[in-house]
Amino acid sequence: MTEELLRTAGVRAGYVPSVDVLRDLDFAVDAGQSVGVLAPNGGGKTTLFRTLLGELTPRAGDVTLDAPVAAVPQGDHARLDFPVTALDVTLMGAYARTPWYRRIAKADRERAEAALERVGMADRRDARYGTLSGGQRRRVLIARALLQDARILLLDEPFAGVDRTSEERILHVLDELVAEGRALLIATHDVEQARRWDRVLCLNGRQVAFGPPADTLTAPILRETYGAELVVVGDGDGEEAICAPHHDCGGH
Amino acid sequence: MPEFLTRALIEVLLLSVAGGLLGTWIVLRRLAFFTHAAGSATFPGLVVASPWGIPAQVAALGAGLLYAGGLERLVRKRNVAPDAATALLLVLALAGGTILASDAYPAGAGVDRLLFGTLLGLTDGDLAMSAAVAVAALAGTAALGRTWLATGFDPQAAPALHIRTGRGDALLLAGLALTVVAALPAVGALLVGTLLVVPAATARLLTDRLRTLQLLAVTLAAAEGVGGLLLAYQYDLPPGPAIALLGGAAYALAAVAATKR
Repeated sequence: MTEELLRTAGVRAGYVPSVDVLRDLDFAVDAGQSVGVLAPNGGGKTTLFRTLLGELTPRAGDVTLDAPVAAVPQGDHARLDFPVTALDVTLMGAYARTPWYRRIAKADRERAEAALERVGMADRRDARYGTLSGGQRRRVLIARALLQDARILLLDEPFAGVDRTSEERILHVLDELVAEGRALLIATHDVEQARRWDRVLCLNGRQVAFGPPADTLTAPILRETYGAELVVVGDGDGEEAICAPHHDCGGH
Repeated sequence: MPEFLTRALIEVLLLSVAGGLLGTWIVLRRLAFFTHAAGSATFPGLVVASPWGIPAQVAALGAGLLYAGGLERLVRKRNVAPDAATALLLVLALAGGTILASDAYPAGAGVDRLLFGTLLGLTDGDLAMSAAVAVAALAGTAALGRTWLATGFDPQAAPALHIRTGRGDALLLAGLALTVVAALPAVGALLVGTLLVVPAATARLLTDRLRTLQLLAVTLAAAEGVGGLLLAYQYDLPPGPAIALLGGAAYALAAVAATKR
């Protein structure tokens, strides 16, 4: 019996009155499922994540969450000159549940160290966050989300600008998280990589498609998702030749 | 030691607590120019306080709130860049204060006291206010330090950590406003940064640890404050500039030490 963690039904969301940035959201994610989210720039990926995090109230429809949600941002707005270590940043995941008059619990400190260990960053726990590489910083942000006890994780381009070691490590951790029954939504521009997730959600101002990769990563759906941004390389007659924008096409 | 000097020393030691602790956040959150302008913005309020018969702190706070409200309107409603809006209001406040002062203080006497502080005439009320902001800064740092850290580190990601960033920021700015008002009698409207910005900026050159940074900023504020007061007493200078000069020298030394590190 599968356990549903997240469902959207007829969701419309936006920032200014009567302009929907995203509409027709109708999908459900089960525990232990990974979902690749494909969208062009301005396609509604950020709006989707903000809605799921509760930062943006849908103007129509329902979002049902049966577990806490945490986000792993790209981190490009973080201040790299801040006097915080990798461990300090990870511990921020425990801030919300720590009362203002208490210190961070010893158990949370131990769990933060375990989370860093899990993403392969234990040996850099005392390094200043700003001195880490892009991939290492992303791993620390994943450790922070783990400390938030969230069963639903929203990852924004977790592999963008990430070195090979970090990418392998992150993929390994994501597989583990799925195996232990969490639900992952992974925003990506990488169509090839989207094939490895259980489901794919295609957005372009609305939900274009949702389903297994074999059903969604087709030329017509990708064309509808990316529109003019889509780049077709090679003979152009099949999925192999399709390459989304900003995506390292890996020699295809 | 004359009693007025003892009072001034106690005042500056009390101010160094809030100055160092909140100064750390001012420097980390890049609010130094905002703070400098907030101090200067109180100038017109200070000028009219005595002729209008209102307490100086109330008048200063009123002028400071006008500045903050004006800044908010310019930035949010008129889309003016924050630093340009700050500079505009700073200039207007200084000009307005100077014009008002030419009426209120015909000979110009007393204006330099408002701008650069005084060793004389610190009242029990001044000391009480500085003690209150010291306690408030300690309590605020203990209770809200984590919120201020996470919000400053990544303002866009902080809401996803379920941190109440708006409330934390409002309380930080309120604490900052009260500290500016408390610091006015001793260092003057133009030089509140000597206690609120310079020590923390100096400490920032020397450490990457938040706790050390806070301790060092408070210690530097206290040392520069006491040293500056003694210099001012010895050479008959206004205390604000004397503390500022020491602060500048300490910053230069720290900058040299930091490059060698």
